[in-house]
Parts: sequence; structure tokens; C-alpha cells
Amino acid sequence: MTPEQLAVAEERLRHPAPGSRIAAAKEFGIDLTLLLHQLRLTPAQRVIWMHDFSAAMEQVRGAARPDRA
Amino acid sequence: MNFIAAVQALVDAGVDFVIIGGWSVILHGGDRATFDLDVCFSRNAANLPRLAKALAPFHPRLRDLPADLPFVWDEATLRNGTIFTLSTDLGAIDLLAELPGVGDYPEVKAHSIAVEAFGREVRTLDAPTLIRSKRATGRPKDLMDAMTLESLMDSIELP
Repeated sequence: MTPEQLAVAEERLRHPAPGSRIAAAKEFGIDLTLLLHQLRLTPAQRVIWMHDFSAAMEQVRGAARPDRA
Repeated sequence: MNFIAAVQALVDAGVDFVIIGGWSVILHGGDRATFDLDVCFSRNAANLPRLAKALAPFHPRLRDLPADLPFVWDEATLRNGTIFTLSTDLGAIDLLAELPGVGDYPEVKAHSIAVEAFGREVRTLDAPTLIRSKRATGRPKDLMDAMTLESLMDSIELP
């Protein structure tokens, strides 16, 4: 994606046009700001991000359970 | 979980497959998390032994199979089924020979794109087809994926 395309995409996600599918998604509860973050990454960077996220989640998953405290 | 290693093993073994599901959503820019790898695979006779060999080192077992029941992971097992929900040493991997809302593997592959990710070139569903597959399930989380993808598609100037 070129910087110009990214700028257009960010503007559309920040200020969805009334009646658009983006506006419907926002209304549905989708956090469009998180999409902005992901859009700035390449597919390869998205995989690494998710991989790191998964590793971190596995480390802390269930840490608040009474039997783990 | 190490899905990067799982995908690399499949690619390096020459397996004919397309990444679908949550990882496809992520590749397209979706912000959701996923805890399994969904793959649509070719049931071509040459592909099944490659698939069996690629995952064998990671000890695949059906997730819903009681631990005390034997399970053989080989080409014959793959030939006798179209959906395998596996637990492996690398994480949960779901193998599907066909995708609801899209069709069988040739149809899935025809609606896929090549992407540089996982340290390899991989194929994943194109965004319109991924949306179609998500809407086909009717599940709320898939509807959310579909709306996310529609937002991403509509935000980008597509040719």
C-alpha cells in the first residue's frame, strides 16, 4: 500500500461516511482504531505481531485463577 | 503455539494449501486474535502424503479424541476424511478439504492470493471470498470478521 492509499484508508476509518459499511462496522462495535494499527503493518509484520501476542498470552493465561495465585 | 513453524513446515514439504480462517483475517489486516491455524488442503493424491509427512513430526491427534484411543496420522487417514481438527506440538491446526460458502479446494485456491508472510510465500483467501466464507457460517464472531474485512476493503482504494 502506498502512503497515499494509507492516508485515504486512515481517513475513511477515522471518519466513516454515514451509511457506509465502515460506519455499520463501527456501530456494530468493531474498534476501527485497531484496524488502523494493523493496516500500517505488512502481512509479514502482522504474523509476527500475532505470534508475539500469542506467546505473551500463553505466559499469562489463567494467572488470575485462584489455583494459580 | 508456533504457527510460523507450522506454516513453514507445510510450505517446505510442498503441500498444496490455502490459509483460511482467523489467520487469513489477520493477513488482511484484521485485529482479532486466533488460537488455531485453519488450512484448506488439496485432496490430490500427490498432496496427501506430503501433508501427512509435514505434520507428522509434531504429533497430530484429533482434538476430540479421548487420550486413550489410538489415532494413526497418515495418508490413509487423510484420504478418509475432509475435516480434521488437530492438536499438535505447534498448536491447534484445522484441516479442511472444502470451505462452506466457497466450495472445494480448487474453488478455494482459485479465490486465493499469494502473500509474503510466515517467512515464506503462502496463499490465503482473497478478501471478498474470505468475507463470503465468514458470512456463510452465520456465527456472531464470523459476522464481526466479515464486517471488519468489509471496513478494510472499503477503506482501501482497490483497483
